[in-house]
Amino acid sequence: MSDALSDCGSDASHDGGQEDVMTPAELIEKLEEAWLNEKFSPELLSNRSEVVECVMEQLTHMEANLQRVKKGDAKASIHRMEIDRIRFVLSSYLRSRLQKIERFFPHVLEKEKSRGEGEPSLLSPEEFAFAKEYHANTETYLKAVALKRMPPNLQTVELLKAVPEPCLDSFVFLRVKEPQENILVEPETDDQREYVVDLEEGSQHLMRYRTISPLVSSGAVQLI
Amino acid sequence: MDPLEVEFLAEKETVKIIPNFSLDKIYLIGGDLGPFNPGLPVDVPVWLALNLKQRQKCRIVPPEWMEVEKLEEIPFSMGLTKLLLTHASDNIPKADEIRTLVKDIWDTRIAKLRLSADSFIREQEAHAKLDNLTLMEINTIRTFLLDSLNCMYKLRSNLQQGSSKGQFSNY
Repeated sequence: MSDALSDCGSDASHDGGQEDVMTPAELIEKLEEAWLNEKFSPELLSNRSEVVECVMEQLTHMEANLQRVKKGDAKASIHRMEIDRIRFVLSSYLRSRLQKIERFFPHVLEKEKSRGEGEPSLLSPEEFAFAKEYHANTETYLKAVALKRMPPNLQTVELLKAVPEPCLDSFVFLRVKEPQENILVEPETDDQREYVVDLEEGSQHLMRYRTISPLVSSGAVQLI
Repeated sequence: MDPLEVEFLAEKETVKIIPNFSLDKIYLIGGDLGPFNPGLPVDVPVWLALNLKQRQKCRIVPPEWMEVEKLEEIPFSMGLTKLLLTHASDNIPKADEIRTLVKDIWDTRIAKLRLSADSFIREQEAHAKLDNLTLMEINTIRTFLLDSLNCMYKLRSNLQQGSSKGQFSNY
Protein backbone atom coordinates (compact mmCIF):
# COMPACT_ATOMS: atom_id res chain seq x y z
CA MET A 1 0.00 0.00 0.00
CA SER A 2 2.87 2.33 0.57
CA ASP A 3 4.97 1.68 -2.51
CA ALA A 4 6.28 4.73 -4.27
CA LEU A 5 4.13 5.99 -7.10
CA SER A 6 6.44 5.24 -9.94
CA ASP A 7 3.76 5.80 -12.60
CA CYS A 8 2.36 8.91 -11.00
CA GLY A 9 5.68 10.40 -10.04
CA SER A 10 6.71 10.88 -13.65
CA ASP A 11 3.52 12.90 -14.30
CA ALA A 12 4.13 15.13 -11.38
CA SER A 13 7.75 15.86 -12.07
CA HIS A 14 7.02 18.43 -14.76
CA ASP A 15 6.17 21.13 -12.27
CA GLY A 16 9.78 22.17 -12.09
CA GLY A 17 11.04 19.55 -9.65
CA GLN A 18 13.71 17.02 -10.45
CA GLU A 19 12.11 14.26 -8.43
CA ASP A 20 11.30 11.29 -10.58
CA VAL A 21 9.49 9.36 -7.91
CA MET A 22 7.24 10.96 -5.35
CA THR A 23 6.27 9.06 -2.24
CA PRO A 24 2.59 9.10 -1.28
CA ALA A 25 3.48 11.26 1.71
CA GLU A 26 5.10 13.86 -0.56
CA LEU A 27 2.08 13.70 -2.81
CA ILE A 28 -0.27 14.53 0.05
CA GLU A 29 2.02 17.40 1.00
CA LYS A 30 1.81 18.75 -2.57
CA LEU A 31 -1.97 18.57 -2.39
CA GLU A 32 -2.02 20.48 0.87
CA GLU A 33 0.28 23.14 -0.53
CA ALA A 34 -1.91 23.53 -3.60
CA TRP A 35 -4.98 23.71 -1.35
CA LEU A 36 -3.66 26.55 0.81
CA ASN A 37 -2.26 28.46 -2.16
CA GLU A 38 -5.59 28.25 -3.95
CA LYS A 39 -7.49 29.23 -0.82
CA PHE A 40 -5.50 32.41 -0.30
CA SER A 41 -4.56 33.62 -3.76
CA PRO A 42 -6.93 36.21 -5.21
CA GLU A 43 -6.76 34.70 -8.72
CA LEU A 44 -7.25 31.19 -10.03
CA LEU A 45 -3.93 29.31 -10.11
CA SER A 46 -2.85 26.76 -12.71
CA ASN A 47 -4.54 23.43 -12.32
CA ARG A 48 -2.69 20.60 -10.59
CA SER A 49 -4.67 17.75 -12.10
CA GLU A 50 -1.61 15.48 -11.98
CA VAL A 51 -1.62 15.77 -8.18
CA VAL A 52 -5.40 15.43 -7.97
CA GLU A 53 -5.41 12.32 -10.14
CA CYS A 54 -2.63 10.64 -8.19
CA VAL A 55 -4.36 11.36 -4.89
CA MET A 56 -7.63 9.98 -6.26
CA GLU A 57 -5.77 6.88 -7.37
CA GLN A 58 -4.27 6.42 -3.91
CA LEU A 59 -7.66 6.84 -2.27
CA THR A 60 -9.43 4.40 -4.59
CA HIS A 61 -6.65 1.90 -4.11
CA MET A 62 -6.78 2.20 -0.34
CA GLU A 63 -10.57 2.00 -0.28
CA ALA A 64 -10.51 -1.12 -2.43
CA ASN A 65 -8.10 -2.70 0.04
CA LEU A 66 -10.30 -1.76 2.96
CA GLN A 67 -13.30 -3.45 1.33
CA ARG A 68 -11.62 -6.75 1.96
CA VAL A 69 -10.97 -6.13 5.63
CA LYS A 70 -13.36 -7.39 8.30
CA LYS A 71 -15.60 -4.86 10.08
CA GLY A 72 -14.25 -3.55 13.37
CA ASP A 73 -10.60 -4.00 12.44
CA ALA A 74 -8.50 -1.49 14.40
CA LYS A 75 -6.18 -0.73 11.50
CA ALA A 76 -9.01 -0.22 9.05
CA SER A 77 -10.60 2.47 11.18
CA ILE A 78 -7.31 4.38 11.29
CA HIS A 79 -7.00 4.07 7.51
CA ARG A 80 -10.57 5.35 7.10
CA MET A 81 -9.82 8.37 9.26
CA GLU A 82 -6.82 9.19 7.14
CA ILE A 83 -8.83 8.78 3.94
CA ASP A 84 -11.50 11.14 5.29
CA ARG A 85 -8.88 13.76 6.07
CA ILE A 86 -7.36 13.55 2.60
CA ARG A 87 -10.79 13.64 0.97
CA PHE A 88 -11.62 16.77 2.92
CA VAL A 89 -8.52 18.58 1.62
CA LEU A 90 -9.16 17.36 -1.90
CA SER A 91 -12.78 18.50 -2.04
CA SER A 92 -12.01 21.78 -0.32
CA TYR A 93 -9.31 22.40 -2.94
CA LEU A 94 -11.55 21.58 -5.89
CA ARG A 95 -14.43 23.55 -4.42
CA SER A 96 -12.37 26.68 -3.94
CA ARG A 97 -11.33 26.45 -7.60
CA LEU A 98 -14.94 26.12 -8.73
CA GLN A 99 -15.90 29.13 -6.64
CA LYS A 100 -13.22 31.20 -8.33
CA ILE A 101 -14.29 29.97 -11.75
CA GLU A 102 -17.87 31.04 -11.00
CA ARG A 103 -16.70 34.40 -9.77
CA PHE A 104 -14.27 35.20 -12.60
CA PHE A 105 -15.50 33.02 -15.47
CA PRO A 106 -15.15 35.50 -18.37
CA HIS A 107 -11.58 36.32 -17.36
CA VAL A 108 -10.67 32.72 -16.74
CA LEU A 109 -11.95 31.72 -20.17
CA GLU A 110 -10.24 34.70 -21.79
CA LYS A 111 -6.92 33.77 -20.19
CA GLU A 112 -7.34 30.18 -21.28
CA LYS A 113 -8.07 31.31 -24.85
CA SER A 114 -5.00 33.53 -25.08
CA ARG A 115 -2.71 30.88 -23.64
CA GLY A 116 0.24 30.08 -25.87
CA GLU A 117 1.11 26.67 -27.21
CA GLY A 118 2.92 24.60 -24.60
CA GLU A 119 1.99 26.81 -21.66
CA PRO A 120 0.40 24.84 -18.83
CA SER A 121 -3.36 25.23 -18.90
CA LEU A 122 -5.19 27.07 -16.17
CA LEU A 123 -8.14 24.70 -16.08
CA SER A 124 -8.45 20.95 -16.04
CA PRO A 125 -10.63 19.56 -18.88
CA GLU A 126 -13.54 19.16 -16.46
CA GLU A 127 -13.12 22.67 -15.10
CA PHE A 128 -12.97 24.01 -18.64
CA ALA A 129 -16.27 22.32 -19.50
CA PHE A 130 -17.76 23.73 -16.29
CA ALA A 131 -16.56 27.26 -17.06
CA LYS A 132 -17.96 27.15 -20.60
CA GLU A 133 -21.29 25.87 -19.42
CA TYR A 134 -21.45 28.45 -16.65
CA HIS A 135 -20.71 31.16 -19.19
CA ALA A 136 -23.43 29.93 -21.56
CA ASN A 137 -25.97 29.58 -18.76
CA THR A 138 -25.28 33.07 -17.43
CA GLU A 139 -25.76 34.55 -20.88
CA THR A 140 -28.99 32.65 -21.45
CA TYR A 141 -30.27 33.68 -18.07
CA LEU A 142 -29.49 37.36 -18.52
CA LYS A 143 -31.15 37.26 -21.93
CA ALA A 144 -34.27 35.55 -20.63
CA VAL A 145 -34.89 37.74 -17.60
CA ALA A 146 -33.85 41.14 -18.85
CA LEU A 147 -31.97 41.71 -22.06
CA LYS A 148 -34.64 40.63 -24.53
CA ARG A 149 -36.96 43.26 -23.10
CA MET A 150 -34.40 46.01 -23.63
CA PRO A 151 -34.30 48.29 -26.66
CA PRO A 152 -32.39 46.51 -29.48
CA ASN A 153 -29.24 48.63 -29.09
CA LEU A 154 -28.93 47.64 -25.43
CA GLN A 155 -29.41 43.95 -25.82
CA THR A 156 -25.80 42.89 -25.62
CA VAL A 157 -23.78 42.77 -22.45
CA GLU A 158 -20.07 42.26 -22.43
CA LEU A 159 -19.41 39.85 -19.61
CA LEU A 160 -15.68 40.51 -19.75
CA LYS A 161 -16.40 44.09 -18.73
CA ALA A 162 -19.36 43.37 -16.51
CA VAL A 163 -17.73 40.81 -14.26
CA PRO A 164 -15.05 42.15 -11.89
CA GLU A 165 -11.47 40.97 -12.35
CA PRO A 166 -9.54 39.33 -9.52
CA CYS A 167 -7.79 41.98 -7.47
CA LEU A 168 -4.09 41.18 -7.80
CA ASP A 169 -3.23 44.09 -5.54
CA SER A 170 -4.71 42.27 -2.57
CA PHE A 171 -2.35 41.58 0.28
CA VAL A 172 -1.46 37.98 1.14
CA PHE A 173 0.39 36.23 3.96
CA LEU A 174 3.20 33.97 2.84
CA ARG A 175 6.02 31.74 4.07
CA VAL A 176 9.26 31.48 2.09
CA LYS A 177 10.38 28.03 0.98
CA GLU A 178 13.25 28.99 -1.32
CA PRO A 179 15.23 32.14 -0.49
CA GLN A 180 14.73 35.08 -2.87
CA GLU A 181 16.72 38.26 -3.24
CA ASN A 182 15.75 41.74 -4.31
CA ILE A 183 12.01 41.46 -4.46
CA LEU A 184 10.70 44.87 -5.45
CA VAL A 185 8.08 46.33 -3.15
CA GLU A 186 6.12 49.05 -4.87
CA PRO A 187 4.45 51.66 -2.73
CA GLU A 188 0.91 52.71 -3.38
CA THR A 189 1.35 56.41 -3.39
CA ASP A 190 3.80 58.50 -5.36
CA ASP A 191 5.31 60.21 -2.34
CA GLN A 192 6.81 56.93 -1.10
CA ARG A 193 9.91 55.28 -2.55
CA GLU A 194 9.97 51.78 -3.87
CA TYR A 195 12.44 49.44 -2.22
CA VAL A 196 13.63 45.85 -2.34
CA VAL A 197 13.46 43.13 0.28
CA ASP A 198 15.19 39.77 0.58
CA LEU A 199 13.02 36.81 1.46
CA GLU A 200 14.88 34.39 3.71
CA GLU A 201 13.93 30.78 3.85
CA GLY A 202 11.33 30.10 6.52
CA SER A 203 10.47 33.75 7.05
CA GLN A 204 6.88 35.01 6.88
CA HIS A 205 5.66 38.12 5.15
CA LEU A 206 2.64 40.25 4.40
CA MET A 207 2.76 41.86 0.96
CA ARG A 208 0.82 42.38 -2.26
CA TYR A 209 -0.01 39.30 -4.25
CA ARG A 210 1.04 40.94 -7.53
CA THR A 211 4.66 41.25 -6.34
CA ILE A 212 5.08 37.60 -5.59
CA SER A 213 2.59 35.79 -7.83
CA PRO A 214 5.33 34.16 -9.98
CA LEU A 215 6.90 32.80 -6.78
CA VAL A 216 3.62 31.16 -5.81
CA SER A 217 3.41 29.42 -9.18
CA SER A 218 7.02 28.24 -8.99
CA GLY A 219 6.53 26.96 -5.44
CA ALA A 220 9.21 29.23 -3.95
CA VAL A 221 6.71 30.68 -1.50
CA GLN A 222 3.68 29.21 0.23
CA LEU A 223 0.58 31.29 0.95
CA ILE A 224 -0.61 30.94 4.54
CA MET B 1 -10.00 30.34 6.69
CA ASP B 2 -12.30 28.69 9.14
CA PRO B 3 -10.74 28.33 12.64
CA LEU B 4 -11.60 24.65 12.38
CA GLU B 5 -9.31 24.43 9.39
CA VAL B 6 -6.48 25.90 11.44
CA GLU B 7 -7.17 23.14 13.93
CA PHE B 8 -7.24 20.64 11.10
CA LEU B 9 -3.71 21.73 10.15
CA ALA B 10 -2.55 21.58 13.75
CA GLU B 11 -3.76 17.99 13.87
CA LYS B 12 -1.02 17.08 11.41
CA GLU B 13 1.69 17.75 13.99
CA THR B 14 3.06 14.74 15.84
CA VAL B 15 2.78 13.99 19.50
CA LYS B 16 4.02 11.16 21.70
CA ILE B 17 1.49 8.72 23.11
CA ILE B 18 1.68 5.73 25.42
CA PRO B 19 -0.78 3.17 24.07
CA ASN B 20 -2.46 0.49 26.17
CA PHE B 21 -2.96 -1.91 23.27
CA SER B 22 -0.75 -3.62 20.74
CA LEU B 23 -0.97 -3.28 16.99
CA ASP B 24 1.46 -3.99 14.14
CA LYS B 25 3.04 -1.28 12.07
CA ILE B 26 0.42 0.49 9.99
CA TYR B 27 1.13 1.83 6.50
CA LEU B 28 -0.82 5.03 5.99
CA ILE B 29 -0.73 7.04 2.77
CA GLY B 30 0.99 9.82 4.67
CA GLY B 31 3.67 7.55 6.17
CA ASP B 32 4.17 4.56 8.45
CA LEU B 33 3.06 4.46 12.08
CA GLY B 34 3.78 2.12 14.93
CA PRO B 35 4.21 -0.63 15.90
CA PHE B 36 2.12 -0.05 19.03
CA ASN B 37 2.98 -1.87 22.25
CA PRO B 38 1.36 -1.31 25.64
CA GLY B 39 3.43 1.06 27.73
CA LEU B 40 5.92 1.94 24.99
CA PRO B 41 5.89 5.57 23.81
CA VAL B 42 5.32 6.08 20.07
CA ASP B 43 4.96 9.15 17.81
CA VAL B 44 1.65 9.63 16.03
CA PRO B 45 -0.15 12.54 14.35
CA VAL B 46 -2.38 14.52 16.70
CA TRP B 47 -5.61 13.52 14.93
CA LEU B 48 -4.91 9.88 15.73
CA ALA B 49 -3.70 10.63 19.25
CA LEU B 50 -6.94 12.45 20.05
CA ASN B 51 -9.06 9.68 18.56
CA LEU B 52 -7.26 7.00 20.58
CA LYS B 53 -7.46 9.16 23.67
CA GLN B 54 -11.21 9.58 23.27
CA ARG B 55 -11.56 5.83 23.01
CA GLN B 56 -9.36 5.51 26.11
CA LYS B 57 -6.70 3.62 24.23
CA CYS B 58 -3.75 5.80 25.11
CA ARG B 59 -2.25 8.47 27.32
CA ILE B 60 -0.85 11.54 25.58
CA VAL B 61 2.63 12.73 26.60
CA PRO B 62 2.49 16.54 26.61
CA PRO B 63 5.24 18.17 24.52
CA GLU B 64 8.25 19.37 26.51
CA TRP B 65 7.47 23.03 25.98
CA MET B 66 4.01 22.67 27.48
CA GLU B 67 5.11 23.66 30.96
CA VAL B 68 4.34 26.80 32.86
CA GLU B 69 7.98 27.98 32.96
CA LYS B 70 8.69 27.30 29.31
CA LEU B 71 5.51 28.74 27.81
CA GLU B 72 6.54 32.18 28.99
CA GLU B 73 9.72 32.16 26.96
CA ILE B 74 9.29 30.36 23.66
CA PRO B 75 6.77 30.67 20.87
CA PHE B 76 4.47 27.66 20.74
CA SER B 77 1.77 26.19 18.60
CA MET B 78 -1.51 27.67 19.70
CA GLY B 79 -3.53 25.18 17.72
CA LEU B 80 -1.88 22.16 19.26
CA THR B 81 -2.02 23.61 22.76
CA LYS B 82 -5.74 24.24 22.44
CA LEU B 83 -6.42 20.78 21.06
CA LEU B 84 -4.52 19.07 23.83
CA LEU B 85 -6.01 21.22 26.56
CA THR B 86 -9.51 20.53 25.28
CA HIS B 87 -9.25 16.82 24.69
CA ALA B 88 -6.48 15.56 26.91
CA SER B 89 -6.28 17.92 29.87
CA ASP B 90 -6.09 14.96 32.31
CA ASN B 91 -2.72 14.01 30.78
CA ILE B 92 -1.22 17.48 31.22
CA PRO B 93 0.21 18.42 34.59
CA LYS B 94 -1.10 21.78 35.84
CA ALA B 95 -3.52 22.02 32.91
CA ASP B 96 -5.56 24.79 34.51
CA GLU B 97 -2.54 26.92 35.17
CA ILE B 98 -1.38 26.40 31.59
CA ARG B 99 -4.81 27.26 30.26
CA THR B 100 -4.84 30.59 32.08
CA LEU B 101 -1.28 31.36 31.07
CA VAL B 102 -1.92 30.55 27.43
CA LYS B 103 -5.01 32.75 27.43
CA ASP B 104 -3.00 35.64 28.93
CA ILE B 105 -0.21 35.24 26.40
CA TRP B 106 -2.77 35.08 23.60
CA ASP B 107 -4.52 38.27 24.75
CA THR B 108 -1.24 40.17 25.00
CA ARG B 109 -0.09 39.03 21.58
CA ILE B 110 -3.39 39.77 19.86
CA ALA B 111 -3.42 43.23 21.42
CA LYS B 112 0.07 43.87 20.05
CA LEU B 113 -0.95 42.49 16.71
CA ARG B 114 -3.91 44.89 16.53
CA LEU B 115 -1.58 47.80 17.22
CA SER B 116 0.82 46.68 14.50
CA ALA B 117 -2.02 46.18 12.06
CA ASP B 118 -3.25 49.66 12.82
CA SER B 119 0.14 51.24 12.17
CA PHE B 120 0.64 49.14 9.04
CA ILE B 121 -2.53 50.60 7.56
CA ARG B 122 -1.89 54.09 8.86
CA GLU B 123 1.63 54.26 7.42
CA GLN B 124 0.48 52.77 4.11
CA GLU B 125 3.19 50.17 4.30
CA ALA B 126 3.56 47.71 1.44
CA HIS B 127 5.53 45.01 3.20
CA ALA B 128 5.81 43.51 6.66
CA LYS B 129 7.90 40.67 8.01
CA LEU B 130 6.06 38.57 10.54
CA ASP B 131 8.22 35.62 11.44
CA ASN B 132 6.87 35.23 14.93
CA LEU B 133 3.21 35.05 14.09
CA THR B 134 1.51 31.68 14.37
CA LEU B 135 -1.04 30.51 11.85
CA MET B 136 -3.84 30.99 14.33
CA GLU B 137 -2.78 34.58 14.97
CA ILE B 138 -2.59 35.30 11.27
CA ASN B 139 -5.99 33.76 10.81
CA THR B 140 -7.49 35.85 13.58
CA ILE B 141 -6.44 39.11 11.99
CA ARG B 142 -6.65 38.03 8.33
CA THR B 143 -10.13 39.02 7.22
CA PHE B 144 -10.16 42.29 9.09
CA LEU B 145 -6.68 43.39 8.00
CA LEU B 146 -6.88 42.31 4.36
CA ASP B 147 -10.35 43.76 3.82
CA SER B 148 -9.27 47.06 5.34
CA LEU B 149 -6.17 47.17 3.15
CA ASN B 150 -8.23 46.44 0.05
CA CYS B 151 -10.75 49.05 1.01
CA MET B 152 -8.09 51.70 1.56
CA TYR B 153 -6.44 50.73 -1.67
CA LYS B 154 -9.68 51.12 -3.61
CA LEU B 155 -10.38 54.52 -2.11
CA ARG B 156 -6.89 55.77 -2.84
CA SER B 157 -6.71 54.46 -6.38
CA ASN B 158 -10.02 56.16 -7.09
CA LEU B 159 -8.53 59.41 -5.86
CA GLN B 160 -5.33 59.04 -7.84
CA GLN B 161 -6.58 58.06 -11.27
CA GLY B 162 -10.15 59.22 -11.13
CA SER B 163 -11.14 55.88 -12.55
CA SER B 164 -10.96 52.37 -11.32
CA LYS B 165 -11.21 49.07 -13.01
CA GLY B 166 -13.75 46.79 -11.50
CA GLN B 167 -11.78 44.45 -9.30
CA PHE B 168 -12.97 41.99 -6.79
CA SER B 169 -11.78 42.78 -3.33
CA ASN B 170 -12.06 39.55 -1.47
CA TYR B 171 -10.54 36.24 -2.34
